Amino acid sequence: MAFAWKASGLTYNKYLSVAARVVRRSLKDDKRLAAERRGEMDLRMAKWKNGKQGEHQNVADANAASMAEAAGSPAS
Amino acid sequence: MNSLRIARTALRARPAAIKAPLQRRGYAEAVSDKVGISTQILRILLTRPQIKLSLALPHQSVYKSQDVVQVNIPAESGEMGVLANHVPSIEQLKPGLVEVIEESGGSKQFFLSGGFAIVQPNSELSINAVEGFPLEDFSVESVRSQISEAQKIVGGSGSEQDIAEAKIELEVLESLQAVLK
Repeated sequence: MAFAWKASGLTYNKYLSVAARVVRRSLKDDKRLAAERRGEMDLRMAKWKNGKQGEHQNVADANAASMAEAAGSPAS
Repeated sequence: MNSLRIARTALRARPAAIKAPLQRRGYAEAVSDKVGISTQILRILLTRPQIKLSLALPHQSVYKSQDVVQVNIPAESGEMGVLANHVPSIEQLKPGLVEVIEESGGSKQFFLSGGFAIVQPNSELSINAVEGFPLEDFSVESVRSQISEAQKIVGGSGSEQDIAEAKIELEVLESLQAVLK
């Protein structure tokens, strides 16, 4: 099956998280506040090269950048 | 018509009672025979084969190996109803409505954000999704306002990724709006 999101460089994981995010936002206020806390993510990473630590990066930002890159090349 | 057929098979299933060589049955005996058949029919009608459903989200398990009669799922390959003894299969789910028909005859509806349904060989069904809520938890106004927002992004000049995300949101929201009506 050909999925539009795949052609745009998104991964299945990203697709699921976008779909889940919009479901959470569509809830009634009381449920929404409790649910939206589940969508929060704050992870940081750093690449190590030649024994030296590179600069800290936000994982979400790094993912977005790599997906934008993937969008340029044809999806396999 | 249908119950007649069941009655006939029930009769056939008790050949000993019918093909008694010397038919010298008294009144009481005939009555007890009738009772036997009707309880058999009842048993056939009441014990509908069941499927064990597990509906799991990362933060909650909605059903935990619970016996249900039928589950309707929105698979990418099309809407399907899963009963007991279904062919084993793995189905990717579209964001959409999952309907669970329970033993008591009542049914429950959940909107899932997309995931997988796995039909196992021994009448077991596992559904995994990221988010899933009963329909009454959703706000129609919020869905409507998000649709117009997403449409703006899709038609706008954002990055390819923003447009792709807005398209996913639009697909989910339209599916949600369709079932909320």
